[in-house]
Amino acid sequence: MKKFFKKTHRMFKLHRIFIKQDLKRLMEYKVDFLTGAVGMLLTQAINLFFLSIIFSQIPDLKGYTFEKIIFIYGFSLLPKAIDHLFFDNLWSIGYFIIRKGDFDKYLTRPVSTLFAVTVEKFQVDAFGELVVGIAFLCVSIPNVNLDVSFLNILLFIVSVFFATFIFTGVKLITSSIAFWTKQSGNITYMFYMVNDFAKYPTTIYNRALSFIITFIIPFAFTAFFPASYFLGNGNALFNIGGTAMMAVILMAVGIFVWNKGVSSYESAGS
Amino acid sequence: MIYVENLRKEFKKVVKEPGLKGSIKSFFKPKNEIITAVDDISFHVPKGEIMGFIGPNGAGKSTVIKMLTGILTPTSGKCEIGGQIPYKNRKNYVKEIGVVFGQRTQLWWDLALRETYTVLKEIYEVDNEQYKKRMAFLNEVLELDDFITSPVRTLSLGQRMRADIAASLLHSPKVLFLDEPTIGLDVVVKDNIRGAIKAINAEEQTTVILTTHDLQDVENLCDRIVMIDKGSKVFDGAIDELKSRYGQSRELRFIPADFKTAEKLDYKREFNLTDDDILVENDGHIISVKFNSDTVSVEKMLSYTLSVTHVNDINVGDADIEEIIKDIYKSGVNPSA
Amino acid sequence: MRKILRIYKPFTHAGFLLAAQYRVNFIFFIFGDILRCFINYFLWHAVFTSGGAKTFMGFSEHDMVVYIFISFLTGIVSYSDGAFAVGEEIRDGSIAMRMIKPIRFEFAFLFQELGERTMTAMIVFVPLMAGVEIYKFAATGVLGFNIWYFLVYLLSLTLSYLINFYFNVCYGYSAFVLKYLWGSNLLKDCIVGFLSGGVVPLAFMPAGLGFVLNLLPFASLTYIPVMIYLGMYDVPTILLSLGLQVFWLAFFIFLQRIIWNACVRHMSVQGG
Repeated sequence: MKKFFKKTHRMFKLHRIFIKQDLKRLMEYKVDFLTGAVGMLLTQAINLFFLSIIFSQIPDLKGYTFEKIIFIYGFSLLPKAIDHLFFDNLWSIGYFIIRKGDFDKYLTRPVSTLFAVTVEKFQVDAFGELVVGIAFLCVSIPNVNLDVSFLNILLFIVSVFFATFIFTGVKLITSSIAFWTKQSGNITYMFYMVNDFAKYPTTIYNRALSFIITFIIPFAFTAFFPASYFLGNGNALFNIGGTAMMAVILMAVGIFVWNKGVSSYESAGS
Repeated sequence: MIYVENLRKEFKKVVKEPGLKGSIKSFFKPKNEIITAVDDISFHVPKGEIMGFIGPNGAGKSTVIKMLTGILTPTSGKCEIGGQIPYKNRKNYVKEIGVVFGQRTQLWWDLALRETYTVLKEIYEVDNEQYKKRMAFLNEVLELDDFITSPVRTLSLGQRMRADIAASLLHSPKVLFLDEPTIGLDVVVKDNIRGAIKAINAEEQTTVILTTHDLQDVENLCDRIVMIDKGSKVFDGAIDELKSRYGQSRELRFIPADFKTAEKLDYKREFNLTDDDILVENDGHIISVKFNSDTVSVEKMLSYTLSVTHVNDINVGDADIEEIIKDIYKSGVNPSA
Repeated sequence: MRKILRIYKPFTHAGFLLAAQYRVNFIFFIFGDILRCFINYFLWHAVFTSGGAKTFMGFSEHDMVVYIFISFLTGIVSYSDGAFAVGEEIRDGSIAMRMIKPIRFEFAFLFQELGERTMTAMIVFVPLMAGVEIYKFAATGVLGFNIWYFLVYLLSLTLSYLINFYFNVCYGYSAFVLKYLWGSNLLKDCIVGFLSGGVVPLAFMPAGLGFVLNLLPFASLTYIPVMIYLGMYDVPTILLSLGLQVFWLAFFIFLQRIIWNACVRHMSVQGG
């Protein structure tokens, strides 16, 4: 137990140091970062505009009012942003780290490879999504009849936490494929894009599609299911328990595939 | 310190047929070809030794280094370093070693060099006291002070290499692996780096394994060399042994004042040599004579040549390392244990 | 003209081969993007079932579906990497090398990209077009494929690619001022995507705004070709729209020349 605490403590310390480094790096690219952040905010603003056009013509979407849709939408941005913030370097694994043989250096460090890879990048861009997500929640909460109890706040935090690892798990599994194929960034992209389905109620999709996003690539658990629990539909066991279970399963498979991949990593010709 | 026994590494190479059809086919039914990169290599390196690990491109040097550093898992055979097996318990093992790949950097590209060391300090859990001492020492040997506050991307190749070596030594490893540490550097910087490696080895008895294509590196640094070709060991011994056995091959090159008189040169008859002892090449401009200075001294060679013909230019040089390796491989020397 | 084709043909060929090499990756990538079209498809489907009305601001449900997929297709085929290519050349200084070569600076990029676009079109065009036409047939019960609209669409699509290319090259010159283009690229793509009708048809915008947006060059990138394909424009409007596209193309070609000449002058005065 004591060893575990020491280990976690060290992990957090390293995280802190890397975050500090990344912020320093950011200062070198200040203008670039700020324009990018404006771009991200604008993208979300346009999405909001898009939704408002739709709702200017219809009262509700399959029983979901504009405010409820905004709530689900805002919720979907939180786990996405947190995953983006901490685990963004997994994209580079699939796109170029393995192909170029740059994975070697992680294997010469006295920390787990997965930790060494993910800790290296603190993706500050994600703050854009985080801010917009929180703003959407703040705007919608007063209008959606939410039961703000201690238990619900706790469940909220728990579900965002696990939902984050659904994102991470999908990225982990798909980018590990690169250990065998040298490159898998576009496979990750393909699966990752499915997350956009979670921004809307699964009831608008056909049966096959909602089955896929519930049980196969379970992004529905990153936003719609937990969010609709807070909106008063569904039960905690399925909507939030499901989120936790899917996260655990995906991460377990992800770590397994990753470790398998590392042991069959073949480096690149010198 | 380092024991390597019957080390072997095979790679599976997917044979891909051209075209979309080929890639679909190879996706479902991959056709594999097995390539042996390292074939049954054994050697032993005692503590504090600097070992040169040489061989032509594609000989398998990097593969061996990668196995010794725990990056690759051997197909079969054993390697043990400081009592540990690299690919088992990797995290513990890599604390004991430092690695520099000359063609890659482990420094953080966008940040000031100093920041890389701060991060590595935490990764390797070096305490403050030790870190200060260590940085002072590395500063002295590698002269980092001039550029420690510059972003890594602005460093020259020589500076970057010094910085990379320092990064690999921050945690006082017992073994240092250097994969082509002088590649692409100019003569002065090369000298500088060699001096640093020597100093580190002398100061802390660090065992050093070094791969290189530069004979000067080997001559200046290494107590011993292991030479491999096509994945197998072809020579293992002290540098002097290599020299006395093979390193005496020299090359005499000259531009004759006129080719008519130069054609009268007959080294074989003059020195009573066979075809194996000497190789004369004439490209119509420069004449090159390869010979072994054990059989015929450089002095005799020169004076005979000059007595027969006038020359516009003349020099005698070492045959380069690739040449020696080729020689050894051709003559099929039994690997000495 | 023959001479131009002879000089630049190798570039096109190289671009084509390059794209062919990455086609498997490209297919995965496109697949991810097509998923996004399906989200919009289902969303609009739900909108039409929830709303109960037959049309939404003048668009029927199948108009909307065709709009989603054809605007996606138009965006993919008329995509241009010009900004990135020019930006990189400026950053690593190789743009100076372009000045000493006896070829038009932007043509080398253009012809290489034409090769890539051809490969891309070969992969996505037929399946998506066929899918949309089959959907139209299934939804309306009539074979609605009109060869004339289709041909005019192809013409408009070609113009839209060329405008996009020259617009992006002009934009790429901003690398002289900005060191890094990641952020501004993101911002540009976001704005262009919205203003060109990539998010919603410009007809959904408030009337005054919509009118202005129709005249801006961005409408020429996606909106005009898609509306032509949909058969939403009558003949005079089509002619007017094509005229507008030609105008914007000429405008950006001209602008590109001006900037390039200024760069050459700047570089020959100051050095690379």
